[in-house]
Amino acid sequence: MAGRFLKYAFIALLLFPFAFLLMLSFGRGWGYPHVFPEQWTLENWRFILESQAGLGHSVLLSLLVSLGVAVPVTLASFWVSRAVSYSPYRRRWLVLAYLPYVLAPVVLAACLQAFFFRGGLSGKVWGVMAAQLFITFPYGVIFFSGFWNRRMQAMEQLVATLGGSRAQAYIRVLIPVAREALMTCFFQIFLISWFEYGLTTLIGVGKVQTLTLKVFQYVNEANIFLAALAGCLLVLPPVVLLWLNRRYVFSGAGGR
Amino acid sequence: MAIKPSLPLALFLALAVLPLLLGLGYALAYSLGIIGYGAEGLTLAHWRAVLGSAYFWRTLAFSFYIALVTISLAVGVAMALAVAWPRAFRRGSLSLFIYFPLAIPAIVMAFFIFQLLSGGGLVSRLSWQAGLISGLEQFPGLVNDRWGIGIILAHFLMAAPFFTILFARLYASERAEALVLLARTLGAGPRQAAFRVVVPVLLRRVFPTIVLYGLFVMGAYEAPLLLGRQTSQMVSVLAVQKLQRFNLGDIPQAYVICLAYAAIVLTLAAWLLGRERARG
Repeated sequence: MAGRFLKYAFIALLLFPFAFLLMLSFGRGWGYPHVFPEQWTLENWRFILESQAGLGHSVLLSLLVSLGVAVPVTLASFWVSRAVSYSPYRRRWLVLAYLPYVLAPVVLAACLQAFFFRGGLSGKVWGVMAAQLFITFPYGVIFFSGFWNRRMQAMEQLVATLGGSRAQAYIRVLIPVAREALMTCFFQIFLISWFEYGLTTLIGVGKVQTLTLKVFQYVNEANIFLAALAGCLLVLPPVVLLWLNRRYVFSGAGGR
Repeated sequence: MAIKPSLPLALFLALAVLPLLLGLGYALAYSLGIIGYGAEGLTLAHWRAVLGSAYFWRTLAFSFYIALVTISLAVGVAMALAVAWPRAFRRGSLSLFIYFPLAIPAIVMAFFIFQLLSGGGLVSRLSWQAGLISGLEQFPGLVNDRWGIGIILAHFLMAAPFFTILFARLYASERAEALVLLARTLGAGPRQAAFRVVVPVLLRRVFPTIVLYGLFVMGAYEAPLLLGRQTSQMVSVLAVQKLQRFNLGDIPQAYVICLAYAAIVLTLAAWLLGRERARG
């Protein structure tokens, strides 16, 4: 009985941030010391559709950036990680791939900002996507490094022995076998891009208004209801992915 | 098997290594006064200014303290949960809901903590309703505070579920249950079996992840930006603020901070992970 109560209390604790954000997103007026908003309204959510508010635009922009990064990075990192994984210097390459994370993406962006400015990419959607490539691509390579193992090598050898070409090995064997890992990597890279703030602010110089920037903008404007709404919109895709398959949010290609 | 790695490896170098080298190289040249606005030739003045400033070292120490406290708390709680309820996080409703905090980005978590713990936040309101305080000014400062409580809590709420999932998975894959049974058969008590057998096995397997996550928290930007304060900043926030100030003379110092931070973090990572590797 006590164990069951503890379990439900723990689940309630895990879900509390979502309920709290949702509450604020439907609220208007939250004067101290009220625990709940003074008014409940759908107006904030209607705001998404209004073109002047820019929140709907930010949702579409964030989707465009995240999809535009996740698709090519998943495919490129799948291809490149094979060479990295089978290289005699595998460990060294993988250490290099970890560096952008160890240094912090925002520090990397600070060091690269001048190049983007001179290349005319500063403040542009393309620039933000290119910058995100520099942190998501190494992640993809690390992700797939668990996939390329002796079993995959043996499969490729079998295809070659049976007269298949390298392209056939990819199309008929490796990609179908890697389908689940490719999906997982795609969604995880989508989420890294979707959650990105520091690098996007620096390279986008505040002009590329993705959803994360909107949250910060509304916080600065002390509009907590729209900040909560933008937060809800940010949280929605990963929650949907969790319902579909929790591996999409937390897992490596080797199933770890 | 013949592998022709040249083209994909070239792409790897172009996308993963080159940006890093270019960025660090540019930062180094700028910090030494070789390039950039008002550059007057090779100088160590900016390095001296930053490395001689007590504020920089305080910022670095504060970042290290935040990372250390966050990771210690998160790993401790996650380990306790995974060892106390080893099966709960592998099947049933908890095994799904424990993933939910991972769906919250840092900026949203920081906003949530602010609305929860600030003077006008939910906890303050509940305290007023319960008669514990009679105004928001009586509520203790838990965000934008000296000790970084808000920053620590925001990162703890993201890190603890992550490590709980990791430990629960390892508990199964390392066959910890069998190890506990064996220890108990050999006369160990439940606590001894947990602390002398299971915890060391799981900690050892997760040590590299703990180090990397700790460094990630040390370089965190979003949560300190919303929940930190001017007098005790984290290093990423300080570097970006110096870079974005109207005073162009601050830019070389921003690059010095980035480079010094990079050197310290890489040394720390190499030392901690190298030592672990040497131990086998």
